[in-house]
Amino acid sequence: MKQTKHRLLSFAYHIEASKRYHTLKKFVYNLIENDSYPHKKYFDFFMIMVILTSVTLLVIDVKHHIPVWLDHLDLYVVTSVFIAEYLARMWVYSDIHKIIIDEYEEGFYFEKNVSIFHIFNIIIKDKWGYISSVSAIIDLIAILPSYRGLRVLRILVLFRAFKMLRYTKSLTGFLYVLKNKKFELITLLTLSAFFIFIAGIMLYVFEGDNDNPNINNLFDAFYWALITISTVGYGDIAPVTPEGRVVTMLIIITGIGLISFVTSIIVSSFNERLSVLREGRVIQDVGKKKHITVVCGYGLLGRLVVKGLEKDGVEFVVIDKDEHLAAQAYNHGYHSICADASQGDIFRQLGIESRITHVLCLTSDDIQNAFIAINIKSLNKDVYVTARCSDEEIAQKMEFAHVDHVIMPEEISGMMGAVYAGEPVAFEVLLSIIEEKEKTQIDEVDITKDSFLDGVSIGEIDFEKLRIILLGVFRNNDSSQIGKFIFNPDDDFALSVNDSLVCIGYTTAIANLKSRM
Amino acid sequence: MKSILLFGYGSFGKQLYKNLSKLGHDIKVITTLEEYVDLEKNKEIDIKQINIKRNDDILSLGINPDRDMLYCSMNKTANNLFLVLTLRTLFPQANIIAISNSFENTRKLEYAGANSVIDLYEATSRRIVNILTKPAVTRALDEIVYHQNDLKMAEIVLPKNSPVSGKFVRDVEFKKMGIVLIAIIDKELGQELIFTDHRINHKLDFDDILVVVAKDKDLDHFKRYLFE
Repeated sequence: MKQTKHRLLSFAYHIEASKRYHTLKKFVYNLIENDSYPHKKYFDFFMIMVILTSVTLLVIDVKHHIPVWLDHLDLYVVTSVFIAEYLARMWVYSDIHKIIIDEYEEGFYFEKNVSIFHIFNIIIKDKWGYISSVSAIIDLIAILPSYRGLRVLRILVLFRAFKMLRYTKSLTGFLYVLKNKKFELITLLTLSAFFIFIAGIMLYVFEGDNDNPNINNLFDAFYWALITISTVGYGDIAPVTPEGRVVTMLIIITGIGLISFVTSIIVSSFNERLSVLREGRVIQDVGKKKHITVVCGYGLLGRLVVKGLEKDGVEFVVIDKDEHLAAQAYNHGYHSICADASQGDIFRQLGIESRITHVLCLTSDDIQNAFIAINIKSLNKDVYVTARCSDEEIAQKMEFAHVDHVIMPEEISGMMGAVYAGEPVAFEVLLSIIEEKEKTQIDEVDITKDSFLDGVSIGEIDFEKLRIILLGVFRNNDSSQIGKFIFNPDDDFALSVNDSLVCIGYTTAIANLKSRM
Repeated sequence: MKSILLFGYGSFGKQLYKNLSKLGHDIKVITTLEEYVDLEKNKEIDIKQINIKRNDDILSLGINPDRDMLYCSMNKTANNLFLVLTLRTLFPQANIIAISNSFENTRKLEYAGANSVIDLYEATSRRIVNILTKPAVTRALDEIVYHQNDLKMAEIVLPKNSPVSGKFVRDVEFKKMGIVLIAIIDKELGQELIFTDHRINHKLDFDDILVVVAKDKDLDHFKRYLFE
C-alpha cells in the first residue's frame, strides 16, 4: 500500500517536472478550448466535417442502403474521433498530478495520513465537474454509435449535430439569449401552458362526446389548442359546435398576444446579444493585426482623429464607454467596442502585451484621460500613450505618470490666436500647415537604404528642381529612442539611412520624391 | 503691440491670454461670469464683467473698431456665436477672430461675421494623427510652432531700400543666414500668399511680406541686416 502511494507520488512529481508533458497539454488545451488560439479553427473545421459526414450518412440511410464499409466508417472512425475528443477534454479539464501533490503535501505538513482512496475520491469529484456539464453530456450521447435498429434511438445521432454548437462561436452566442431571458420565457411558457390546458379541456367538454369525430381523447384536444394558440392552424381538427367556436375565437386572440410577446422578448434579447457577438468579432479581427492603435473616446475630437487615421491608413479600434457613441462609430464603419477604457480587461483582450502600439486618450474629461493613460502604462509601459488634456495642472501630473504626449487643444488655439494678433500672414501659413487642408503640406520623406539620397550631402541635392522647401532633417538615433530635429542643416551634412527629410511642398512634389525612395 | 479685447476667460480664453500677454499686447478681458473677476482680483489683469445680451454693456466698453482686435473665445458655442453676431452688427468694420470646436461651428461663426476662425479640434486632431504617422513632422512642428526650442516662424515686411530689394529669391543667400523662407506675399502678383517651393523665382520689393522659419538669434541678425 505504502509502496503504491510512493509510486503514485513520484509519478506525479515526474509529470510536474516534465516540460514535454506541459507543452503537449497546453497544445491540446489551445486546440480544443482556447478561442483565441489561431489554429483552433482547423480543429473546429475538422470536427464539423466529421459530424456532417455522420449526419449525411444517417439521412442517406433513410431511403437508400449505404455500403457496409461506410457503415463501418461511421461506427468505428467517427466514434473513435469522438471518444478521443471526449477524453482529451476530460484530460485538460484539470491536472490530476497537481491534486496528488497538493493532497500529499498537505498531509505531510499537518502530519496526517492520506489514503489512496481519499485521493481518488477527490480526483473523481473533480472530473465529475466536467462529466456532469451539459456539453459533456451531449458529447457522451453523441459517442453512442447509431442504433439503426430502433427508429427513435436513431435520432440520437442528431446529438452529433448539437455538438456542432461547440465549434461555432456565433451559434453558442444564441443559446445565451435563451438563458438570459429565462425568467420571461418561463413565465410566458407557463401562461401559454395554462391557456392550452383550459382551452383543451373546454373543447373536450363541448365536443369530445361524439359531436366532433376528430376529437377522440384529451390529447387531441390539447393538440388542437396548441396548433390554434400558436396561430399555425393546420385545420385537421376544427371545432364544429358554436361553443367550440367561441373557445376558438378566444384562444386565437390570446394566441396572437402571446406570440407577439414571445417574439419581442427574443428579438430584444438578440439585439442585446448581437452587440456582444459583434464585439467578439472585433476582438477576433484585431487579433489578426500586427499593430493596432486604440482610440479611447468617440466625441468631437475622437471623430476627427479617427478620420485622419483612416486617411493615413493606420489600423485602429475605437473604445467608448457610451453605448450610443460606440454604436455610432460602428455605423461609421469602424471597429468599435463599448467598454470602460479605464479597466484592464479590454486591453488584455485586444493584446496590450503584443499588438497595441499606441493608445490615444481623447475623452472630454481630463481626469478620465489620466485614468485611462495610467491604466495603460501600468499594463505595459512601452505602449505610446497620447492624452488630451485641458488643465495645465493635470497635464503636469500626466507627464509625471510618463504619458508620452500630452496635447492641449486650448494651448494650440491660444498659440494661434497670439500669432494672429501680431503676424497675420504667418498665421495663415501656420493654419494651412497645421490643418493640412491646402495642397501645400508639410511632410516627411524617409531615406531608405541604397536610395539616391543615401549618403548624399545636403548641398548636392537640388531642392529647386524637386520643388521642395527643406525645413530640416530628423535623425533617428539608434542609442536613444527619441531622435533629433536638425533645422536647416549645412551643405556638407551627409544624409544616411533612417534620416527623414522634413519638407514643405506641393503634395505631388512630395509624393514624387517619396516614390523615388 | 496691439490693443486686444478678449471675450471669455474659460479654458480657451485663459490660454489666449497667456500667449497674447507673452507677446506684450495690451489686453482687456471681458467675461460674463462674476467669479472670474473675483478670481483674478489680485493679479494684474484688466478684467471686466458684462452681460453680452445687452448692447449697452458692449457699447460701454468703448470699442474702437479701427484699433482694437476682438477675440471671441467663450467656452459655450452658443454664447460665442451670439457674441460674434452682436459685435458684427455693432461694429461692421471690426477685426473679429473666433475660436471654434468643430467644422460645423466654424461654418456658423464665419457666417455670423468672424474674420478668422481657429478650429481647435481640427488642428489638434491633425497633431495627434501626425504623432502616429509622421514622427519627424511632429517633432519639427513641436519645435517651430509650439516653441519647444529657439526656433520660430515669423513674418517680415520688407522695408524700403533694403539690401534685398530688387533681388530674386534665388540670389539671396537665405540658407547661409540660417533662414528658411517658406512663403511670400509678392505684391507684384497680388495679395495672395504663395509658398516658395521654387516654382516661381520671386523678385523681392518694398512691402513684400516674407514668412520665414529661423532660430531667434539668426532672425534678429536677418532683421538687422534688412533694416539697417
